[in-house]
Amino acid sequence: MSAVDGLTTPVDVADTVSATAPRRGSRRGAGLGDRFRGTALPSRARWAGWLFALPALVMYAVFELYPIITAVQYSFFDWDGISVATPVGVENYVRVFTEPQLVASIVHAFILIIFFTFLPVLLALVVASIVREIRSKVAGAVARTLMFLPQIIPGAASAIAWTWMYSPDGAVNQMLRALGLGSLARPWLGDFTWALPAVGVIGTWLATGLCTLLLMAGIGKIDGSLYEAASLDGAGRIQQFRAITLPGLRQEIGVCITITIIAALASFDVVFMSTQGGPGYATQVPGVQVYQLAFTENRIGQSSALAVVLSLIVLAVILPIQRFFKEK
Amino acid sequence: MHRSGISSRPTRRVVIGMFGALAVAGGAACSAPGPAASTGAAADSTPTSVSTSIGTEPVTLKLYDGQGLKNVDDVLIAAFTKKHPNVTITPTYDPDNVTTQNQPRQLASATPPDLVRVISVTAGTKNNLLTNLDAYAAAYGWDKMPTSQLSQFRAKDGVAGSGSLYAKASGFTMTGLYYNKKLAAQVGMTTPPASIEELTALMDKAKAAGLTGMVVHNKEGGGVFPFQLLINSSMGPEKVSQWVFNAPGATIKTPEAIAAAKQVQDWNAAGIFPASVNALDATAANAIFANDKGLFFPWGNWEAASLDKTMPREVGFLAMPPATAGGKVAAMSDAATAFGIPSRSKNKDAAAAFLNFLSSDEARQIAIDNGFMPSGLESQAAPTIKQGSVLADVTKAFAEVSAAGGQVPFVQNATAGISNRAWNPETQLLLGGSSTPEQFVTDVQAKYEEELKR
Repeated sequence: MSAVDGLTTPVDVADTVSATAPRRGSRRGAGLGDRFRGTALPSRARWAGWLFALPALVMYAVFELYPIITAVQYSFFDWDGISVATPVGVENYVRVFTEPQLVASIVHAFILIIFFTFLPVLLALVVASIVREIRSKVAGAVARTLMFLPQIIPGAASAIAWTWMYSPDGAVNQMLRALGLGSLARPWLGDFTWALPAVGVIGTWLATGLCTLLLMAGIGKIDGSLYEAASLDGAGRIQQFRAITLPGLRQEIGVCITITIIAALASFDVVFMSTQGGPGYATQVPGVQVYQLAFTENRIGQSSALAVVLSLIVLAVILPIQRFFKEK
Repeated sequence: MHRSGISSRPTRRVVIGMFGALAVAGGAACSAPGPAASTGAAADSTPTSVSTSIGTEPVTLKLYDGQGLKNVDDVLIAAFTKKHPNVTITPTYDPDNVTTQNQPRQLASATPPDLVRVISVTAGTKNNLLTNLDAYAAAYGWDKMPTSQLSQFRAKDGVAGSGSLYAKASGFTMTGLYYNKKLAAQVGMTTPPASIEELTALMDKAKAAGLTGMVVHNKEGGGVFPFQLLINSSMGPEKVSQWVFNAPGATIKTPEAIAAAKQVQDWNAAGIFPASVNALDATAANAIFANDKGLFFPWGNWEAASLDKTMPREVGFLAMPPATAGGKVAAMSDAATAFGIPSRSKNKDAAAAFLNFLSSDEARQIAIDNGFMPSGLESQAAPTIKQGSVLADVTKAFAEVSAAGGQVPFVQNATAGISNRAWNPETQLLLGGSSTPEQFVTDVQAKYEEELKR
């Protein structure tokens, strides 16, 4: 968005518009101010900003806007990717909301939010608060590195590793048996009830590191004297956490939640590499469906429609969250 | 308030700008996606004047296949170009799972390869993208080959199975039951089971001895194997093939298929399959079989070479017994690679010469050496195979099935999406007990019809 600011001078943005923009009647005034201040700068400068932004804009248009527009266009056709397409109106969209398996996949994506977002953020808050109190620099650095490790392993690779751990004789079941909980051992990814939570836990493992790192950076910015003052006043750890840490991390938590919710709703690699949506349809998610519809079934139109719906769902979930976590 | 004001106006401009861009782009792309109808018609798809000579001028052929076939293709190419020094073949290999997705795009390309892996003959003929090989078949005499070796690559009016020829195979796959010789002796198997009843009895004995009767792995859809091995015989190769070839009115919702689904479900319920069948992949299943814990292993020729290495002389291979004693044997058996010639290829005569070479004695030996069943005439010299190897067993079973006209294409190939969208999840539901045999065939048939309706 900042590229667009090249149109208006910083001065203009700072006072005139901000005060008047929300009211329709005063827009003319803003425009006048714009023109008045615009004369202060040579017109060359107004275009220079665009020029600097041009390479990025071209890339954005070619690799983001154009594919989005074509996807929207395809979604109104029945097209196999090769021969001539047939327009079908909104039929593809109707199917997204009526075909049980497509609807179920969207529900699964929302269930994954528990594992991709809530659990990692909670864990990260706990870990970050504890690490803050580690006095030793070395121990702190080691803890940070260890927590972040999952983040540098590709999701697909870790999904395969987890598949082994979840296998009937894998690490998870071995551990359960060693603890005398053999009755709980099961082929996790082959179990209709437990496959989705099992896939979700892979996501938890992946996301916790990122959230921890972000939250630790956030905690680092909180003025240490606040904690000092609070403890002098007799505030315990929990009180400090609630009164200082949590409010201080508002923005960072917002970022964590945004990133991980997008990862949950648009999940692909973890599910594709671990279960491919199975057993049955128990772990089917929109990301995998979009892929399968387009590239194994050659139903480009249906795939595009689902992708468009998925994007809209992500926006519908993310925008209110963004607003909520915006600094007041 | 101050901050939000900053963003409000540029945002509005951006929105207006974006709609402008959308409108412009939308206007430019307002026609339907896909080529205009006129350019869709391919070049010469039914050549009439063909030559079996490839001359002496240098020719370069481009070949497209899956990575898994690289070993056999490279040897075939080397042997062919040695015979015809003026021909150069440059191969391109994609990962096998990608070839399915890329085949239509390769065929539709303005400059397609000259030899391309054909996965769906009907998809290739739909837009006249594949060359009709009838003239070459007549010129080279391919018509004399056993019908079941070519019928998979024939198509007429969008239905495969009969009609004009569009591809020729470099060799064939073969499926059936591997068995552990030591365990077979343990359960008293002296002759191959002659019927499904006898097979079940043997597997029950194995189960009683604490073994896995049949090593089925269904994480990636291996559970379809025992089911299709059953219907190949009970429904008959003809009906199953027609279903795979999308013949009008073909259905898998038959009493025989329901009975087969029930049989598979019963086997699993009786503990004949591994307990965690839905979580087991091929690697894990291999481990069970290699550790002498499983009696039968329903799988294919592709495993023979590694079984000969890991369990030398310990493994045998059988064609699936017929439904009732005395019935005909059948097996899923399709091409290692079926090579076709795209319509837009400029070097069709040279490409056809390569297709012809695929059933030569030399190519047959190459196929066997790489674990595939040889294509060609029954009167041709038999390739040499190491005696006592399980591959020799597989080849023997293939000859048996081929002679009985029992070569059946894989049901997973009936439509592009049927494997991922129906067979794999539905067999998981069936074996998991979340679905009934009736529901199983009904759901698969529904997906099949839905995909073909388009």
